[in-house]
Amino acid sequence: MAAKGTSLRQYALTRLALVIPMVFILLTLVFLLMRVAPGDPISSALGGRVPKEEVDKIKADLGFDRPIYVQYGDYLADIARGDFGSAITDRREVRDIIKENGAATLELTFFAMIVALVVGVTFGLLAGRFRDTWIDGGGRLFGIVIYAMPVFFLGLMAQLFFGSYLGWLPTSDRASPIVDATLETHTNIYTIDTLINRDWDAFVDVSKHLILPAVTLGLVTAGVFIRLIRVNVIRTMKDDYIEAARARGIDERSVVYHHAFRNALVPVITIVGLTIALLLSGAVLTETTFNWPGIGHTLILYLQNRDYTAVQGIIVVFALVVVFASLIIDFVNAYIDPRIRY
Amino acid sequence: MASLAAFVVVIAGASVGQSALGGADQSGVLVSGTTDTVTNLDPAGNYDFGSFAADVNIYEQLMGFPNGAKLQPVLATKCFAVGGNKTWRCNLRRGVTFHDGSEFDSADVKHTFDRVIKINDPSGISSLLGNLKSTKTNGKYAVTFNLKSPQSTWRLILATGAGFIVPSSYPATKLQANDQEQIGTGRYQLTKYTHGQQAVYEAFGDYWGAQAKNDGLIVRNYAKSSTMKIAIQRGEIDMAFQTFTPTELASLRKAKGLRVYSGNGAVIRYLVLSMEREPTNNIAVRRALAYAFPRQAVATRVYRGDVKPLYSMPPAGLPGHIDAFASRYGRTPNLAAAKRALQDAGLDTPFPIELWWTPTHYGDASADEYAEIKRGLEKNGVFKVTLKSTEWAQYSDALGRQYNAFQLGWFPDYPDVENYVVPFYRSDTFVANGYKSTKMDNLIKASLAAKNEDVRFAIYRQIQNLAAADVPIIPYWQANMIAAGRNNVRGIPSTLDASFIMRYWKISKS
Repeated sequence: MAAKGTSLRQYALTRLALVIPMVFILLTLVFLLMRVAPGDPISSALGGRVPKEEVDKIKADLGFDRPIYVQYGDYLADIARGDFGSAITDRREVRDIIKENGAATLELTFFAMIVALVVGVTFGLLAGRFRDTWIDGGGRLFGIVIYAMPVFFLGLMAQLFFGSYLGWLPTSDRASPIVDATLETHTNIYTIDTLINRDWDAFVDVSKHLILPAVTLGLVTAGVFIRLIRVNVIRTMKDDYIEAARARGIDERSVVYHHAFRNALVPVITIVGLTIALLLSGAVLTETTFNWPGIGHTLILYLQNRDYTAVQGIIVVFALVVVFASLIIDFVNAYIDPRIRY
Repeated sequence: MASLAAFVVVIAGASVGQSALGGADQSGVLVSGTTDTVTNLDPAGNYDFGSFAADVNIYEQLMGFPNGAKLQPVLATKCFAVGGNKTWRCNLRRGVTFHDGSEFDSADVKHTFDRVIKINDPSGISSLLGNLKSTKTNGKYAVTFNLKSPQSTWRLILATGAGFIVPSSYPATKLQANDQEQIGTGRYQLTKYTHGQQAVYEAFGDYWGAQAKNDGLIVRNYAKSSTMKIAIQRGEIDMAFQTFTPTELASLRKAKGLRVYSGNGAVIRYLVLSMEREPTNNIAVRRALAYAFPRQAVATRVYRGDVKPLYSMPPAGLPGHIDAFASRYGRTPNLAAAKRALQDAGLDTPFPIELWWTPTHYGDASADEYAEIKRGLEKNGVFKVTLKSTEWAQYSDALGRQYNAFQLGWFPDYPDVENYVVPFYRSDTFVANGYKSTKMDNLIKASLAAKNEDVRFAIYRQIQNLAAADVPIIPYWQANMIAAGRNNVRGIPSTLDASFIMRYWKISKS
């Protein structure tokens, strides 16, 4: 037992140590890509209105004309101090952007993940259990179609059908204008804030606003789960211990639900971690489609304006989320399956 | 899937009896949508339409356009030149208070102009005050502006975003952050601002003039006009201003429960021609383009009448405007004359030319616009056009360095012919096309020193004729000011004019 504990600790420390060079490489890449890409925030803001000489003077005042390695050194020094800086265009502190807009993304991706898991697990299990039946065919088709469908297209269809045609659900934003105006925020996660405020009308309003974007993003993500779980269920149903369970006379229902399904779901833990990256990239498009003021939506705006500081800060946060999610999944897997540690 | 559908139905059904807070139509608060974005709310830190449109609700200038496109005193009672156009004095209105209860006086005016220059924000408007030497107070209720050189249009500069008066309590050397209280003298107080989402305004009870006609205002930001279109059709917002695509406007005009209003506009679109790069440095090529330019086709086929053909940089309707290009090159494309101009200069036809445009900065219709321009210029084998495009961030950085003919647009700082002429035709023009004309520079100098409007407008007519002859720029359309409103919204037409200011305080809902 002692040897096992030491091994897990060593594994965890090694994985944690790898995070540092990963983040460093990422910071460097983001910095270089932003500087190599043509355009800059000042030309973007004032170009087409202000003479070029004035634009160049402002760029020089901000230090954009300094050698790139000097700018890079300053950037790393700021990051080392935990200072992500503030956006050049609107002067928002990057940490505020992450706090406010990040909360919107967290809310959206959390509920999207629930949708993805509910839909993915249900369809995957059913398709695997009833292999080569119409249920399997339907589940596979559904999985392939929603996986292949661009998230903005699915979102637009949902807006037109549930919003415009049926009139059931709001098609944009996190809350109705009046609710948004009067909502007292504590966490910037509106569903939680409305619950803290015990404002049930507002809770219903923000829940309604959450449905279309969360279901859209969740469905696209569910395609991955459906295919994976189906394959796992089919493989598990052929395993020896399932045969053994049947041979011992355990009824089929118990074999399927207590033995096959549980084991088929273990690999999902790994996929959930990898899906975080998929969700975040999907969130960028989903947020734009539904005018959801999340961090992805904000990233697009800052990218269009070549706002170096804001883009660098947001991308680094995105990357850190993915890195740490992967790390946690690695730990969980290592804990569950000791073979991974060796 | 069944459980998911059930979840959707349950939540949707749970709010059938909507709460008092649940819908915009249950309140006297006006909810408007826009695709514009705000950079900084502090007037010293912005030079974009979205921020100006937010500030105009909160702040006021000494001079402004409170009732249409005619310049009027607002926080001043009078502004006048003292001994030539180099010194201007303004007498200030008394009894005006800021939203924080402090009294407005000359110290605030001096502080406002001093800080715009001192802050010199990278996204800011300080360039408009480049001619201001100093601001001095003359007692509590008068100020004097000393300029570096005569400027007949100084009162118009006072009406720009650079002239929004802030209280002396605002920091002198840095911006008032967006999350700090924004204090002006305007009809609305900003009570909640969520960047990129919405701004919530409350009517200012101690406003010195007539109160707003609505109980408050919410302006909601949309990333895409298609989302805003669905929102107004569903009644999630009461009105929308800026900016729908031509296709969306056509669809909204047919929609039930709302109306699309159109009035005089101030936004123009033009094609800049480099005087330094091949082949547009050849006057024959520029004139051939002017002869062949398909203005009507763009206006009718692309914009379905929401823009009008433009034959000079200042929009039709502004005092001093003349149709200089129409007089010289005709109102409709003259392909024979275009071909002749090229052939007389020894150039073969179809003459190859590159036109640059940018896809999103000037709206999604730009792609159709330039496809139509290409089609028009290529008729009868006059030109062989190659279209090239790049996104604004790259485009704006390359202006004047890489492109010989390129699309630009202009939203004026103030609705005066000067603002459509001087920035474009002076030797240090921001369009960076290398246009340098001593004659033009002298005319511009004379216009700025003109002591009365008749003389000033006469000079501007000469400038427009000279510009049509030299063709450094081809103006091609002016847009209408367009807003859509639900049927219960009143007063939108009263604010659609060439000043391009959405005066929400004039709009009510029943």
